[in-house]
Amino acid sequence: MKRATEPIDDLDVGLQIPISDIFDRIWRLFVSMRTGLALILGLAVLSLIGTLLVQAPPEVKADPTAYATWLDSIAPKYGGWTRIFDSAGFFSMFSSVWFRGVTVLLVTSIVACSIRRAPLLWRRAVHPRIAMGDSFFANAPLTTVFGANSNPEATLEAVRRVLRRRHLRVSVDSSGGDIHVHADRFRWGPWGTIAAHLSIISILVGAVIGATWGYRDNSLAVAVGNAPVAVGGGTGLTVAARSFSATYYPGGSTPSDYSSVLAVYRNGREVASQTVRVNQPLQVGDVAFHQAYFGGAVAMRVQDAAGKVLFDEAVPLLLASTDGKESVGRFSLPEVGATVYVVEAASGVVDPSIRAGQAKVEVYNPGSDQPAATSVVSQGQSAPVAGLMFTFVRERQFAGLMVARDPGAPLVWGGAVLLVLGIVLVFYFPHRRIWVRLRRDEMHTTEVRLASAQRRDAGFAAHFARIADDIKAAVKAAHTP
Amino acid sequence: MFKMSEYSFVAGTIAVGLALACYVLAFIAVRIARARTGLVAAGVGGETVVVNGSGMAGLAAYGSLITSLALAFLTMSLMFRTIASGHGPFVNMYEFAIAFAWGVVAVYVYFEHRYHQRMLSVLVLPVALGLLIYATMQPADIEPLVPALQNNLLLTIHVAVAIIAYGTFAIAFASAVLYLIQPDGGIPGLPKPEVLDSIAHRAVVIGFPFLTLTIVFGALWANIAWGSYWSWDPKETASLVTWLLFGSYLHARVVRGWRGRRAAWLLVIGFAAAIFTFFGNLFFGGLHSYATGGGN
Ligand code: HEM
Repeated sequence: MKRATEPIDDLDVGLQIPISDIFDRIWRLFVSMRTGLALILGLAVLSLIGTLLVQAPPEVKADPTAYATWLDSIAPKYGGWTRIFDSAGFFSMFSSVWFRGVTVLLVTSIVACSIRRAPLLWRRAVHPRIAMGDSFFANAPLTTVFGANSNPEATLEAVRRVLRRRHLRVSVDSSGGDIHVHADRFRWGPWGTIAAHLSIISILVGAVIGATWGYRDNSLAVAVGNAPVAVGGGTGLTVAARSFSATYYPGGSTPSDYSSVLAVYRNGREVASQTVRVNQPLQVGDVAFHQAYFGGAVAMRVQDAAGKVLFDEAVPLLLASTDGKESVGRFSLPEVGATVYVVEAASGVVDPSIRAGQAKVEVYNPGSDQPAATSVVSQGQSAPVAGLMFTFVRERQFAGLMVARDPGAPLVWGGAVLLVLGIVLVFYFPHRRIWVRLRRDEMHTTEVRLASAQRRDAGFAAHFARIADDIKAAVKAAHTP
Repeated sequence: MFKMSEYSFVAGTIAVGLALACYVLAFIAVRIARARTGLVAAGVGGETVVVNGSGMAGLAAYGSLITSLALAFLTMSLMFRTIASGHGPFVNMYEFAIAFAWGVVAVYVYFEHRYHQRMLSVLVLPVALGLLIYATMQPADIEPLVPALQNNLLLTIHVAVAIIAYGTFAIAFASAVLYLIQPDGGIPGLPKPEVLDSIAHRAVVIGFPFLTLTIVFGALWANIAWGSYWSWDPKETASLVTWLLFGSYLHARVVRGWRGRRAAWLLVIGFAAAIFTFFGNLFFGGLHSYATGGGN
């Protein structure tokens, strides 16, 4: 609410920068709390819009035809607004020019505020203003005045003792006629705002670094038993799944746990190996391997008429047929220019044409959308399809991994820690300051005035009153020698 | 254990309702008494009215007592359920709603003890009661945990700090509403605007660091479970909106023209955002809709 706000030091007198040129104007704009407030609220509004409107997945956004289809699919929901929201970029709010623009302005404003504030906070902490004028003592929100029976020097000693006992730092200025005392505690508390503000920048910079130089693969399927698969993003790593296991809750299809044993190689040498489950990723340097999903795989061997092995790997069944009744895997045979689909009945589905323990093989020639030949093969058996010999070696499983490398993460986590510490510092260690003025009166006794200008610290008034009582009691006990 | 948890939950809900009734009756009675004395002072009635405030004060004291009982019941309910299910209250809306209500009541009890402004209960307890009634409409069964939610200390902390944050925001909200309904000088019989402003600020000073921790722990967990600390998941984003709104409140308090009323409005909007974040799962899908989460 409105409280008396006498200027205590430079922090409170406002800006005294001449607005002579454009730079000063811009500077003033960015250091203004009003601007800062508008920017924070602006970011809140944009985020809210981004929460309320469905957001296009990034991979859809990257593909114009997929995006057009996606827009059609949401058009019934937003009607005529679809086009407007789309041209405003609201369906990818968090990468939109609005969101990025406001974020950049906010960062600028935070930097400006911190640059302006840091030297002032430094001065306040290191060279506080000790001698305050009469009007300050008359108008401060917290004041008290009483007489002491001793001279100012003796009173000072009593005051000093009380303040010290209350863990306040005491600075004295007796250069004028009066003795002025400045006592404070937690003078580094306000630096929490600087920490909190810089932490936001650290987090945002970390996020930008992660988005720019990081790498992410949300679906890397690694079938058990296969040779190591290359991890992208210039990591130079390969990964293999040694085993996989899943357990289910009784009577249901809800997995209670699933895990795979992964081995990671660099230049063919194993560098790490671990059991990976959903909450237990494998970390290799700055690359993390997360267990994300899983499914069945079919170990398949293909030989040509001469018996030469063209393919011998487990094929993860990553795809589902449109009716959801079949799980489908795919691989290609470059030597004969064919693409092969391996189809099994989805788990829990009874399909008389592909029974449990069987897989259907479909061979497609390039440019054709009809299979050249198909055949159902049972586990452990072989069947000729399109002039090739297909062997269904055995059922396997695959581990679906999410691989992420985020070079910005340390800045993000460091920033998060700094943010929390900064906020705690500001709120729980507020800079508490008290001024005392000791003025000799005609009787060679002393008029003691206490004042404080605490504004946003509700608990301080009571604290101030206790200190005032202590000082009163102490100066009563003190006598002029 | 499961049954005990259910009984405590019902007892807690009834206690919150009763406490609210006591407080409301007490305040209505005090207002009527005040209006009558007002008339007497103005010389309208002609007869002497003896205002017996002590009975009313007694009623409000029952309100306080029953609120503490409600807190005890809700605490027991959450404890028994945690024992029965083997995990913290973070799996479904039933558990969230009770936990949220617990936070609101707990923070209210603390603030009543600290600042003696029982008028806040009239706005705070309906929030808790609403959440508990909402919980009664949710399936209470203990469901099997998908792997992403298992063995998770981070998740328990994430929810625990969120509950405290939301509870304090309910206090800030109640203070802001009581502030906003008063003209500048205040209304006799209602808590003074300066007091309300200071309580609201205290609440945010506690709540804002907790909300910050909520988001940080949520991000830590997401990073482990989903391999990414931030995915612009709607619930995440909604919590960011809430955080920005309370952050703007902290700044508004030092901007001329924003102190007082506008700052109070920010608290009301911020609380609305917190509620929206809480119920967000119902409006939008996303990673936080656990029913479909997990393996696929
Ligand atoms: C999302 C962005 C921001 C966050 C999280 C943030 C956080 C904080 C926090 C926690 C405080 C302490 C509040 C208090 O003492 O009650 C604070 C104070 C402050 N902030 Fe920010 N801030 C942000 C943006 C800004 C911007 C853009 C500006 C520049 C205009 C700014 C200027 C200040 C100033 C000058 C103070 C000190 C107010 C005072 O105590 O006198 N902040 N900020």
